[in-house]
Amino acid sequence: MSTTATTNPATARATARRSPLAASGKFKAFASTFSITGPIAYCLSVYLNWPVFTYFPATGRFVWGYGAMQASTGPNMLWYGWLLTTFFTAGVLGLIAVMLPERVTNKIPLFLVWLVPILSIPYVIYSLMFWWRLAMRG
Amino acid sequence: MSGLISDNAFWTIWLLIHLLLAVGLLGALTHQAMAVALPARQTAGGIVARFRSVSAPTYATAVCVLWVLTFLVGSYIYPSYRINIRIPLEQGHYFKTGGFFDFKEHIAAIGLVLLPAYWFFWKNAQNPEYDNARKGVTLVLAAMCWFLFIVGHVLNNTRGFGS
Repeated sequence: MSTTATTNPATARATARRSPLAASGKFKAFASTFSITGPIAYCLSVYLNWPVFTYFPATGRFVWGYGAMQASTGPNMLWYGWLLTTFFTAGVLGLIAVMLPERVTNKIPLFLVWLVPILSIPYVIYSLMFWWRLAMRG
Repeated sequence: MSGLISDNAFWTIWLLIHLLLAVGLLGALTHQAMAVALPARQTAGGIVARFRSVSAPTYATAVCVLWVLTFLVGSYIYPSYRINIRIPLEQGHYFKTGGFFDFKEHIAAIGLVLLPAYWFFWKNAQNPEYDNARKGVTLVLAAMCWFLFIVGHVLNNTRGFGS
């Protein structure tokens, strides 16, 4: 079913005003590669525990890489570091895709953009197992 | 802000900004998801038909901007949540609630990385080559947004700033 089918004339006008970025084949290669590899990079950075930095909100301290929680530092936050690892990894892969010829990047299956995030959800639930175990113990 | 308002009031105001941005995002994404899942063939009189017959491509940039803004405000509030909310939640044995918040943070991050492709597909809405991918990513983002919104709402009911 085509999502372009609509009777609203505003749609035609909106689609007619394409920005140069939206018309660029290189941006298509970057965006599709970034969005397909992003969820995988995020799950890997969580699984391997590779944050670029760790933040300790109680003391306001930053540590490069992984910083364990200690009594003197208070709780640690890894999420910001995981995000940066994800952006860096997916960004580099996106830039590599931009450098490839279009006949190669045009073969990237675009359905992966929505399928990969769905497939990443079971791992995300699994990665939170310590919470579910604690919940089961009450 | 010390002296003007209390810490709790300060974080509650930011949480409300986060909520208002999320409401805007939820509305825009739901309109768009309805328009791609059940496209209206003609502008009809009923509220459901009108809801479906919006000009979906015009929402794309707004959705991206709102997702990023909601994400940034949520990221700003997050350290305060980690100290003032999560520790009492753990002490109160609200482990499922804590787990679902961590689930929410992961989903928000995964949704964020989908935005470049989502934006590109919608800015090329006249190209039928992207129809299926555009439909799929829009429905995934809408489902994610509803999940984030509901978890955030339940978490705030369980323990909000100042409770």
